[in-house]
Amino acid sequence: MLSANNLTRRFGDRVAVENASLTVEPGQIFALLGPNGAGKTTTLRMLAGLIQPSSGSVTMDGEAILRHSAARIRGRIGLLTEAPGLWDRLTVRQNLTVYARLYGVPHVERSVTDTMRLFGIEDRASQPAAQLSKGLKQRVALARALVHKPDVVLLDEPTSGLDPESARDVRELILGLRSEGRAVLLSTHNLDEVERVADRVAVLRTRMIALDTPAALRARLFGSRIRITLAGDAATFVPHIEGAGISGTSSDQGMILASVDNPSLRTPQIVRRLVAAGADILSVVPDQPTLEEVYLRLLETHQDGHGPAPAVRRAGPQDPPQHS
Amino acid sequence: MKRLQALLAKELMDLRANPGLFVPAVLTGLLSLMLPFFVAVFVPWLTGERLSDSSDFTLAIELYRTEFSTAPLSPEGAVQGWIFQQFLVLLVLAPIAGAMSVAAYTVIGEKQARTLEPLLATPLSTVELLGAKVLGALIPAAALTFGSFGLYFSGVLFLAEPQVYQVLLTARALSIVFVLGPLATLAALQLAVCVSSRVNDARSAQQIGALIILPLSGLLVAQLMGRVQLTPAWLTVAAVILLLVNIGLMRTAVVIFDRESILTRWK
Repeated sequence: MLSANNLTRRFGDRVAVENASLTVEPGQIFALLGPNGAGKTTTLRMLAGLIQPSSGSVTMDGEAILRHSAARIRGRIGLLTEAPGLWDRLTVRQNLTVYARLYGVPHVERSVTDTMRLFGIEDRASQPAAQLSKGLKQRVALARALVHKPDVVLLDEPTSGLDPESARDVRELILGLRSEGRAVLLSTHNLDEVERVADRVAVLRTRMIALDTPAALRARLFGSRIRITLAGDAATFVPHIEGAGISGTSSDQGMILASVDNPSLRTPQIVRRLVAAGADILSVVPDQPTLEEVYLRLLETHQDGHGPAPAVRRAGPQDPPQHS
Repeated sequence: MKRLQALLAKELMDLRANPGLFVPAVLTGLLSLMLPFFVAVFVPWLTGERLSDSSDFTLAIELYRTEFSTAPLSPEGAVQGWIFQQFLVLLVLAPIAGAMSVAAYTVIGEKQARTLEPLLATPLSTVELLGAKVLGALIPAAALTFGSFGLYFSGVLFLAEPQVYQVLLTARALSIVFVLGPLATLAALQLAVCVSSRVNDARSAQQIGALIILPLSGLLVAQLMGRVQLTPAWLTVAAVILLLVNIGLMRTAVVIFDRESILTRWK
């Protein structure tokens, strides 16, 4: 579907993106994470055919997006920019109608009506965009990005600045795109959002420092962990666990976190040791690090964007190899 | 072409939703309309002195006696005809000023409102984008010129000496309004759009684009001083020059419109 192959973009002496590669498949939500200035928007613009890479290429179904083909391929991509960018004085319907015509949508009126219904904004059709709330503007902007039914949807910070309810609505719309079989690439800072919707995650810091499924990233960075909750202070029981040859333990008041390589084998051993030591165990559950922990760990490992990532596979099975 | 039409429709809808943009142009146009009537009709009526009695207008009377279409005019009519035709250039200038404020915001206004990036993400080509922007300002400006001319003509028909209206139906007068005027407006607008796509401030675009008004103002003054007579030959040369200028500006606008710079360097 949409592939980036060793994308590099320089602005004068500054390298905004270096050797970034990824592939977004139909029916997949791909999240692009990274701190401010990491090159996410630049990458999105290259993928959307808005700017040309300094080196590397972007292909859509195998066809490279070049100057002469960019306009045609842009017709198959829907881009939601960071700001909704609606024409304030025009009504919702007028905003969508202009874009439907620009994209050459057949049966414009009907398509616009259908799109408004799909996004639940048909009751706002005659309202000028300036009068809409921020959440509604974002919804209209998303409708605009999809009015031509693109194969690929690029979303730049789609829930930025939205209240929780509006953010949830937008997330549901994004999930709807996946079920329609569209390829979705999402650039965001919102890790909770990524946790909820993304099938694959890439972390960009000028270079791509990690790319995999969220579960695989967790496993590679943190291994398997169990969380044991005890009645009373847990710190006194940590040596008993470490005595079983388990390292990577930490405790906080009544809770112990232990990294275990084989949870089904190790967990009963740990429980037996703790009971023998007189611990009152309240619960033992598998612990899953949050994506935020994964993300922060990755950024710590790659402070300059060029450091190694020994625990992280650099590219998923569908992605071209990364150059380090 | 369909994409150009789509964006042009948006430009016109936007203007319709914000008619205030053209208020300065309409006011300037009305003032331009009133000025010659003040000089040619109101002042003589107020003072009881005929313009044709003044030696200042001898040249005008002689000029109009030599032309077939205006020869039957009375001496007073000849002077009025001369004044009304001289002020036609002013009628052309007024809409340019109004359209400039629209054109100057075309690209930079979209950028500042953050509406440019989604627009550039569509299959719209640079020619279509700039074409729609220029036409979006040219169409209302031309409508204003033609509307003003209609009012001007009606005023002359009812307020001036009999037959004076005929000076506004000569090839010279009509070509000023319907050929030179739109061509000069188009040149000014294209210049403003060119500048609008290269600067970060709409005021700069407006000021630089307004440069086109300078030669036209000079032409008006030279006419009034009797230094230049807008003969059909002179008007044809001016039209050809303006046409070439417009073609050059159109090409320049497309060449200098750098999507990447606009997206990545402007803040």
